[in-house]
Amino acid sequence: MPASRLTQTGNYRTRYTQDQTIFATAAEQLSLIVFVLLLLTLPLLLPKTLLRDVNLIMIYAVAVIGLNVTTGYTGLINIGQAAFMGVGAYATALAATRLNLPFFLAIPLGGVVAALIGTLVGLPSLRLKYLYLAIATLAFQIIFEWTVGHLPVLQQGSAISLPTVQVFGIRDTFLNHNAFWYYIILPVLVLMALLWRNVLRTRHGRALIAVRDNDRAAAAMGIHPGTAKLTAFLLGSFYAGIAGGLFAYFQKAVVIEDYGLHVSVQLLAMAIVGGLGSLPGSFLGPLFIVALDRSMEALSGWLGAQNLFPEGVDVATALRPLAFGLTIMLFLMFEPRGLANWWRLTRLYFKRWPYKF
Amino acid sequence: MDLLPQLLLAGMVIGSIYALAALGFVLIYKSSRVINFAHGQIIATGAFLAFALTQRGVNFWLAGLIAMLATFLLGLLIERVFLRRMVGEPIIAVIMVTIGLSSVIDGLIHLTPYGAGSFSFQTPAVLSGAGLEVFGTPLSRTQIAGVLAALGLLGALTYFFNRSTLGITMRAVADDQLAAMSVGTSVERVFALAWAAAGLTAAAAGVILGLLSGLTLGGLAGIGLKVFPVVILGGLDSVIGAIVGGMLIGILENLSAGYLDAIVPGGGTRDVFPFIVLIAVLLLRPYGLFGTKEIERV
Repeated sequence: MPASRLTQTGNYRTRYTQDQTIFATAAEQLSLIVFVLLLLTLPLLLPKTLLRDVNLIMIYAVAVIGLNVTTGYTGLINIGQAAFMGVGAYATALAATRLNLPFFLAIPLGGVVAALIGTLVGLPSLRLKYLYLAIATLAFQIIFEWTVGHLPVLQQGSAISLPTVQVFGIRDTFLNHNAFWYYIILPVLVLMALLWRNVLRTRHGRALIAVRDNDRAAAAMGIHPGTAKLTAFLLGSFYAGIAGGLFAYFQKAVVIEDYGLHVSVQLLAMAIVGGLGSLPGSFLGPLFIVALDRSMEALSGWLGAQNLFPEGVDVATALRPLAFGLTIMLFLMFEPRGLANWWRLTRLYFKRWPYKF
Repeated sequence: MDLLPQLLLAGMVIGSIYALAALGFVLIYKSSRVINFAHGQIIATGAFLAFALTQRGVNFWLAGLIAMLATFLLGLLIERVFLRRMVGEPIIAVIMVTIGLSSVIDGLIHLTPYGAGSFSFQTPAVLSGAGLEVFGTPLSRTQIAGVLAALGLLGALTYFFNRSTLGITMRAVADDQLAAMSVGTSVERVFALAWAAAGLTAAAAGVILGLLSGLTLGGLAGIGLKVFPVVILGGLDSVIGAIVGGMLIGILENLSAGYLDAIVPGGGTRDVFPFIVLIAVLLLRPYGLFGTKEIERV
């Protein structure tokens, strides 16, 4: 054993159970405790507007974990994740308004409905690969938007408002809205992340990765690629559905614009910027993209005040897609492994300090 | 005035534009296996460029030509700067680069005064007279000219691919990159040329569409999505498929608008019907009508 449990630099594992822990070293466990304490006190430290963004980031992180399950870990390109979110959101909204279910039942129900629809949409993956599947999910996204826009039961895409929620005697009011939902979304996110982290350790999780890397080799090892792909769609859209339900409650209403094609593209961008097929990346990606969006808003507000642009040019609508697109392209060209790679390198640096290797 | 011939003709008019747009898409896919999500934005760039030139007093035809030349160069530039680095990268990376590109072009167009508004070309004098009547359906001169221009371009490109050395080289690269390289073909040059040609046809499609139904960024860039049903139906890597698929989707969406809108509450089936066709084609015949069979079952 090393001199101190906190300064150990290598692996000192002698049992399989030690090898199986998620947070292995003492330094990791300590930083985890500090991190959790920080997370729990965050609403006290942050201004309200930022807390709202933190909530959005966490909701998107749930959806991005799901997208990573299909796209990152299984290699099935999914351009319809926002539509799956929408399915979950609308199912949640209907469950809450028509069936009067409480939110802790309505949100999982939305997840289940999204998972069912997602598996149906995933059916073409039994025959199609790569591109064709990407186009199939794109078609689902467009059909979903159109259908919602035409169904009277879904208000034809205009807002369906959700009932106010009460937990342990605390009501969700205008004043505590962000903090209230922070304490609901955070445990859900942690739970969902741990769920995936542990599914990944089972043979079902490893089967997905095997299918991504080479589905014929996977088939030769006794994995049924079709089942694995459908599992990926089932899980991925379940995550999207949960995210959609949370989003619906957090926004207090379901509107079709929140689940459009551009959101699907944004989720894909988050997954890529974070690092495809990586759990830390699923948090870093949404963080980066939302932060980029907010800073571009601020920048365009400042630029707009400078009168640099001709009449009729809305700098905000120009700058945001511009920065967003450039970010995706630059990441893909120069850091295809995303922010997760930087995260990994930083961790390695601390783990090995003072050595460089 | 019968409904059916009217719908068929309207479908063929819009279908010829879809065909032109899909052709650019197929050119890129056929040569380099890249799905170009930014095609709609390149179409919009060409159209707005031509419009901006006519606003400055340039003759309509000259403006169209300059716009086509400009998007030709834009295609070259995009290939050189972004896509050449992506050779050998996973498909998702290539797809996302073009999605990022579409976002960037969107942003750039929004920096000009043309991003938000809706505009229309000053119809040139030759095209503003009375049109023809076909099967009892009036067709304006603009529509006829649009279809003729689209068909002319499609014909010229088909001829180019079948007869000219460069065209045959491009087909060779599309068929087998390694074999083409080993007989001394510059694959890079062919990729660049495919992007350039796609840009050229994109501007043509944009200008024709702008002439027919006005210029809005959303409408022009939206063609980039309509391309997917067209190319899936026709076959992703088939030039003939792009033309036939374009016509078919144009006609189908007009038929659905004509006959289904009355049944479906809220109407607007035109926007979704092509994508239902897309799903059906993917399930039944994923390689489309004329595409290469490369799908495998798992």
